[in-house]
Amino acid sequence: MSGSEATTREVTLTWQDGRRETVRATEAQTILEAAEARAVGLPFGCRTGACATCTGRVADGRVSHDREPRALKPRHLESGYVLCCIARPRTDCRIEVGADVRTAMVSNPWK
Amino acid sequence: MATEDRHEHSHHEHAHHEHGVEGPGYATPQAAIEESTPEKLAYVAALYTGTDVDASDFVAVVDVDPQSETYQEIVDRIEMPTRGDELHHFGWNACSSSCHVEGLERQYLVIPGNRSSRIHVVDTTDRRHPELVKVIEPEEIHEQDLSGPHTVHCAPDGEIMISMLGNADGELPGGFLVLDDDFEIDGRWDAPGEIEFNYDFWYQPRRDVMVSSEWAAPATYQPGFDLEDVEAGKYGHSLHFWNWGDRTVEQTIDLGEEGMIPLEVRFMHNPEVAHGYVNAALSSNIFHFWKKDGEYHAEKVIDFEGRDLEGWDMPVPALPTDILLSMDDRYLFGANWLHGEVWMYDVSDPANPRESDSISIGGYFGEIQAVQDRELISGPQMLQLSLDGKRLYWTTSLYSTWDDQFFPEEGQKGSVMLKADVDPRRGTMTLDEEFLVDFGDLPDGPARAHEIRWPDGDCTSDVWQ
Repeated sequence: MSGSEATTREVTLTWQDGRRETVRATEAQTILEAAEARAVGLPFGCRTGACATCTGRVADGRVSHDREPRALKPRHLESGYVLCCIARPRTDCRIEVGADVRTAMVSNPWK
Repeated sequence: MATEDRHEHSHHEHAHHEHGVEGPGYATPQAAIEESTPEKLAYVAALYTGTDVDASDFVAVVDVDPQSETYQEIVDRIEMPTRGDELHHFGWNACSSSCHVEGLERQYLVIPGNRSSRIHVVDTTDRRHPELVKVIEPEEIHEQDLSGPHTVHCAPDGEIMISMLGNADGELPGGFLVLDDDFEIDGRWDAPGEIEFNYDFWYQPRRDVMVSSEWAAPATYQPGFDLEDVEAGKYGHSLHFWNWGDRTVEQTIDLGEEGMIPLEVRFMHNPEVAHGYVNAALSSNIFHFWKKDGEYHAEKVIDFEGRDLEGWDMPVPALPTDILLSMDDRYLFGANWLHGEVWMYDVSDPANPRESDSISIGGYFGEIQAVQDRELISGPQMLQLSLDGKRLYWTTSLYSTWDDQFFPEEGQKGSVMLKADVDPRRGTMTLDEEFLVDFGDLPDGPARAHEIRWPDGDCTSDVWQ
């Protein structure tokens, strides 16, 4: 598969508990799809960019969204949050994943 | 079908029903009370969406028969084929509104994934071990420019109607989806743009009315609750009264500042009556709505005050996230999720609810914080009442992302299902300390639990024509 290797990106997924998985994403794959192809379970919901269940955070590298990430506000995008269901890696990258990432993004507004 | 035709039908066919024609449900709300036997099984929406548990959401079959050897156990789990649904509310293919339709049975549960927009159909012929028989994939829903399925009600003619909170992008407007009696998509019920926000709905066919309420667009509420969205006007505060036959909004009532996020709409079960209630969750008020002189009116009738709590910048709102009416329309029950209170009000005078009793449990202020040494973690949320009005059950998860903000341990330790014994004569209720279903102790990991339904219909599923 030397033809596709040239266009794959190495995506390192890290969890808060120290777990770490590396998957390769082809140009046709979102981060979520690349993880699924290797049987790495990430949280997800709508798979269209509306619900934020799949939120990750870019620690290193560059990703771009296929379509408008409606679930993220400008402040979230500025902080490096991405929606793994509609995001593709543009370089090799390291993404913080797992439910904790989304939980940290939205806090109790009255506290 | 014209309204008058339908009325004629209902009178005609109900007469048959009394002579032994078998349709689903009960001829009247009082018949449901008299003829029903105590619930033996409960179907409970349970979910892993939004956690790191790599498993699908499921419907738990809970044994609630005290005579059974497996009492209080989850005796089966109907797992959904795909992860990430966020099972939430669900409903039947038929209820008492189709009581006149021979051959139709209360057999299939229609179970939407609120995040995935996937709709599941489960056959409950084997009550203890129901079976998934059909899945409608999100792409088919998106083709109708809809997403975020919520409330499921059957219509009197065998069709199924589902409130949809967003368009295909998870933004506004929402609308209503109709499935035919083979569970195929029939199309939209309403013309797009008739409403913007959507949430719950209830219809009262004899009054030719449907009322719908307002949460927010999926892209707004699904990521979590953000006050900035409230300030930006992205949360609803109106009730829409529809012409049930014409499928158009005839009247919209803006509940204003005191009516922010009106959620569950509960018409009285008596089909002749045009009174109902809605819980404005964020404003923590209950509104009564009724028809007079050809118009609907809404008025705040219960106001739960916020309470101070150390560490909070502002008083903690009660957040009454669910309400229901007893089958005899005598009591309104509700749950204040943040405060930790389950309450019952006498609504025999609908405009003047009178507090009957309450249980202070769970949440931030509940006096009871553990049952059988199981820490409660969260507040009382989704309610279900037995048809005879004597047993009230509840679960503790609201919505995965909102749980994480207000009760972060709920996702890690799982929900509980609890029960109170109600004395509808005396207007009292008592926690059944012997009853506990722990969703924290399951093979795949702790699960959240949301809506509860009985196999023979319940106080939030059945409408009478």
